[in-house]
Amino acid sequence: MGRYIIRRLLQAIPLVLFVSLTIFTLLQATGDPLATMGGRSPTKSEDKARLRRQLGLDKPLLEQYLYWLIGNDWAKFDRDGDGIAEAPGTRYGVLRGDFGTSIVTKRPAMEIIVDRLPNTLLLMVTAEIITLFFALIIGVISAVKQYSIFDNVLSGFSFITFSMPIFLVGFGLLYIFAVKFREWGLPYLPTGGIFDPQEGRSVSQLALHMILPVATITIISVAGYSRYVRSNMLEVINSDYIRTARAKGLTERSILYRHAFKNAALPLATLIGLDLPFLLGGAVVTERIFAWPGTGRLFLDHLELLDYSVLMGLLMLITVAVVIFQLLTDLMYTWLDPRIRYS
Amino acid sequence: MATATVKPVRLNLVEGEAQAQSPTQRVIKRFVRHRAAMFGLVVLIGVLAYIIVGSFIFTEAQANYNDTSIRLQAPSAEHPFGTDRIGRDILARTIYGGQISLMIGFLAVVVEVGLGTAVGAIAGYYGGWIDAILMRITEAMLSIPSLLLLLVMAKFFAGKFAPIPFFGRTLSGSVIIIILILGLTSWMSLARIVRSNVLSIKETEFVLAAKALGVPNWRIIINHILPNTLASIIVSLTLGVATAILTEAYVSFLGLGVQSPTASWGNMLTEAQEFTVIKNAPWYWFFPSLLILLTVLSINFVGDGLRDAFDPRSDNKV
Amino acid sequence: MKRRLLLVLTLMLALSLVVAPTLAQDRKVVTVSYTQEPLTLNPLYVTQWFATNVIDMLLTPPWFIDDQQQAVPVQVTEIPSVENGGISEDGTVITLKLRDDLKWSDGEPLTSADYVFTYEMIMADGNTVSSRDPWETKVASVTAPDATTVVITFNESFAPWLTALFTASPAMPEHTLRPIFDAEGTLDAAEWNKTVNPGSGSFILNEWETGSFLSLVPNENSFAGTPKLNEVFFRILADDGTSQNAALTTGDADIGVFLTAGDAVELEGAGLVISQVASGYNEGWYLNVNPDTAHPAMLDVNVRKALVMAFNRQQIVDDLLFGKTRVATSYWDGSQYVRPDAKPYDYNPEEAAAMLDAAGWVDSNGDGTRDKDGTELVLRFIASQRQIRKDVQAVVQQAFAEIGVGVETSNYDNFFDTYGEGGPMSTGQYDIGEYSGSSQFPDPNTADFLCSEIPSDENPEGANWIGYCNEELDALFQEQLKTTDPAARVALFQQIDQIIFDEAVWVGVWYDADLWATNARVIDAKYSGADPFWNAVNWDVSS
Repeated sequence: MGRYIIRRLLQAIPLVLFVSLTIFTLLQATGDPLATMGGRSPTKSEDKARLRRQLGLDKPLLEQYLYWLIGNDWAKFDRDGDGIAEAPGTRYGVLRGDFGTSIVTKRPAMEIIVDRLPNTLLLMVTAEIITLFFALIIGVISAVKQYSIFDNVLSGFSFITFSMPIFLVGFGLLYIFAVKFREWGLPYLPTGGIFDPQEGRSVSQLALHMILPVATITIISVAGYSRYVRSNMLEVINSDYIRTARAKGLTERSILYRHAFKNAALPLATLIGLDLPFLLGGAVVTERIFAWPGTGRLFLDHLELLDYSVLMGLLMLITVAVVIFQLLTDLMYTWLDPRIRYS
Repeated sequence: MATATVKPVRLNLVEGEAQAQSPTQRVIKRFVRHRAAMFGLVVLIGVLAYIIVGSFIFTEAQANYNDTSIRLQAPSAEHPFGTDRIGRDILARTIYGGQISLMIGFLAVVVEVGLGTAVGAIAGYYGGWIDAILMRITEAMLSIPSLLLLLVMAKFFAGKFAPIPFFGRTLSGSVIIIILILGLTSWMSLARIVRSNVLSIKETEFVLAAKALGVPNWRIIINHILPNTLASIIVSLTLGVATAILTEAYVSFLGLGVQSPTASWGNMLTEAQEFTVIKNAPWYWFFPSLLILLTVLSINFVGDGLRDAFDPRSDNKV
Repeated sequence: MKRRLLLVLTLMLALSLVVAPTLAQDRKVVTVSYTQEPLTLNPLYVTQWFATNVIDMLLTPPWFIDDQQQAVPVQVTEIPSVENGGISEDGTVITLKLRDDLKWSDGEPLTSADYVFTYEMIMADGNTVSSRDPWETKVASVTAPDATTVVITFNESFAPWLTALFTASPAMPEHTLRPIFDAEGTLDAAEWNKTVNPGSGSFILNEWETGSFLSLVPNENSFAGTPKLNEVFFRILADDGTSQNAALTTGDADIGVFLTAGDAVELEGAGLVISQVASGYNEGWYLNVNPDTAHPAMLDVNVRKALVMAFNRQQIVDDLLFGKTRVATSYWDGSQYVRPDAKPYDYNPEEAAAMLDAAGWVDSNGDGTRDKDGTELVLRFIASQRQIRKDVQAVVQQAFAEIGVGVETSNYDNFFDTYGEGGPMSTGQYDIGEYSGSSQFPDPNTADFLCSEIPSDENPEGANWIGYCNEELDALFQEQLKTTDPAARVALFQQIDQIIFDEAVWVGVWYDADLWATNARVIDAKYSGADPFWNAVNWDVSS
């Protein structure tokens, strides 16, 4: 087991490096961060030239990647932008934990990401839990009462929500519950943000502002998960050992919840495990609609600015998390299902 | 000319006994029994008819004709779906926009299936280090959150493709871009499925026999192995179109998808984002949304039906 | 004894009944809705509009440009001029006389030494400042002969000094920042960049919740008077068409900016006050007259005039912009530099057709498009990806088709890229380019029409994308750059404006002022195009 883990981790390293190089190349080739820097007053050409040298953006791609990876404190860089590298570098590189500084805000990239991470996790984990809760209920009942009215209506409904673009749901909820309810004098929900600045970051404020974004994400996600639960339950219910249990005379309830459900839940656990790391990336569209300050919005904002330190930092964080969670999920699968063993 | 299909066997059993059917016939029969799938098929054909017939009723010039004095008008006899922000007829635009959305959906899936099948088949068949490298690349791409990768690629390719003529229409380069990036970011799961199918078929007797006979590898793959992974491919293809249409809507919503003046259902929704429009012109987003919903829904139903139809175990149900 | 106790208690009760309502009075809070988060609050590193507005409230410059585009002294006692000795006779030396009661928010005095320090920081190696203009090339030295005097010596007379000196880079606190610079060799990562503490504005930063909001509260040590408000919030919302409007409609935000015309109509209906603030921008057609890249028809001034006259700009303003603005008459529309009695070209498609006929462009082969000497009159009309421009392109394409002029439209992400970067405008791959441009507002200077700024391999950063070269115009531009007398400068620009109009190389489409929405409860908020929040200290709310 230990050897298996180590082998997997070792195999993961070239994978992560490959991903980092690919994304780095893509981002660099996409455009010039200095071009968008000025906003309304575009940066003058002499300043652009100087900044390019000071920030090391004039170096060839692979050299920039190298500095990103292992830092530049072993080399000299051009601090005054005159074209001659004379000052010792100050970066330690990603392998030593330094993700560089944001080109536009000058703050350390990891600091920026970590600032936003709790907000995203709050939103995504809550949404995931609520989604799972409803998905399990709907999935199990649909499977048990297959082809009944309940199953058909719920299945139909989940197909519909599965087929809708998420921003329609988001805007719809926003418009009805935040704008219209207020107009009609009913108790209303806030239009966006994470908490009302005047009230402060209290639990009730967070809960209030989470309702609409969580609802949006849940409505879209429940469909997919519940279909999965349903089909797994169906497969298990129709399997031999359940038939045996029935023949043995066990109560339906005991069969369903002690045997069928546990075995149907196993693949779902795998699915969740594989989905979890992607929660770190937030829900880009939902965060945008509801102005939720999470990592999804962070990505969008910094993509506009081509601020590659922050973009790389976030993407690498997710990639590493994916690798780790894939390993954890596989291990958990082994532990839960004794039929599977890895050499 | 050795093929792997077995001719249907007629057993002269007791009269009245059902005769064994070919696999294809069984699949079709199971599909037809699936009510939701049939409903989906009917709706899908309806949408296709809407678009095809519509293109004969309205010319593209009519779809692009603008008259700002009648902008944002509610549905009327003259303009059954209302008019958009510069006075174009929304009904006509949904027809031509539908052509684009469906085309994007279909072509993106062609890219996805082509790439995924090729990678999966080659990896599964040849095994060894080819398999290892291809699978590592697949895993690497799966590790990156797809929407984020999509956005980065959209920005990367932006503006790099010139408009192209296509069957009498001129499409902006952004259509090519979105097809490309949708295909490039979704082939991975199919590759894994195809690979595992190929792995299990590889060791069967008729493949071993073909090899012994000296049939070249590529022929074995195309003539023997792929036909037996067809089920997965078809299901993947169908559901892929639905996902592609939805993803196009998202990417256009974020501003990086199909660019005007080419209309697609997705970017018609982006145009409708302005607050004035949401409040006062609900028809602007209602009709494209309805069409997206109907199309994606029916494709999902059909895909679900196909999946059940190909699954021999579903015979036990009902 | 007991009676006295009772009396005291009764008095206290009565007092509390009076005091309590006063204490329970609402705090005066204004919320501004922002669609972008400020990147940083150190003015050296950022030109982002959303950042500089907040910085204006935390750090004061020598003077503000108010909503009438006039300079208002803030840190100086008076605006320098030749009469008061602030500007030397030849215009190369400018002296700032500071008030003697200037303070930082931590109580330390603000002196001319802080100005010299700021100049040093701009020029220091190790600081990746966003711009060294004009300091690097135009300024010879900055000295402080005494605590309230700053002397700036230029290499030659520099007309835009009013808007270029210390307004983008206000004085920063030497006593706080020099130790940091000495220790780290750079101010790039200073904590002060996020807090501006100490600052010199009428407000100080109270809290910055990343991605969410900034909170500003009054600066107790403000030398420019104490604000009437208790707190100002900047709420960061999504940059889509809806969130800001939803927040303004429901009252979650009081002030919003960069509204579209449609938003403005909606919000006005909801009771907000809409204001148009001149920011120097005018949406215009830049007509390519570079003989190497433009369609041959574009080189004929009568063809250009005909194109303008076939373009119904008033219809665009009425239908697409809900009548919320007007047709722009000049590149400098909205300022004092416009030629007298300025009027746009009329909309007259019949005359336009006649002018095209007279210029030799007729449809000789019956294909619906005019031609001459075998060349079809098909023009390339390009713009960025903004929706409103795509709408205009569609309308123009149809209108021009009716008088026999073919139009091919394209939209680019890299629309504003320079010649060196391969941008479509700068490399001349167009005939009509539409975008919203401005001079170096509030200064009228611009490089867009200079012969020396035509982009080429030798000059990849050139800003004269229309390729226009007129010696008379060039001479006028050179002269105005050296004219420090405001009235004389206005006269020069009026001549410049007339030439550009007569030559029809730049044509106004609409006056692109910023549209602001303010909740009716906010009183006394006057927005300036150059320094929007210049009078935040006077803002108040009605109860």
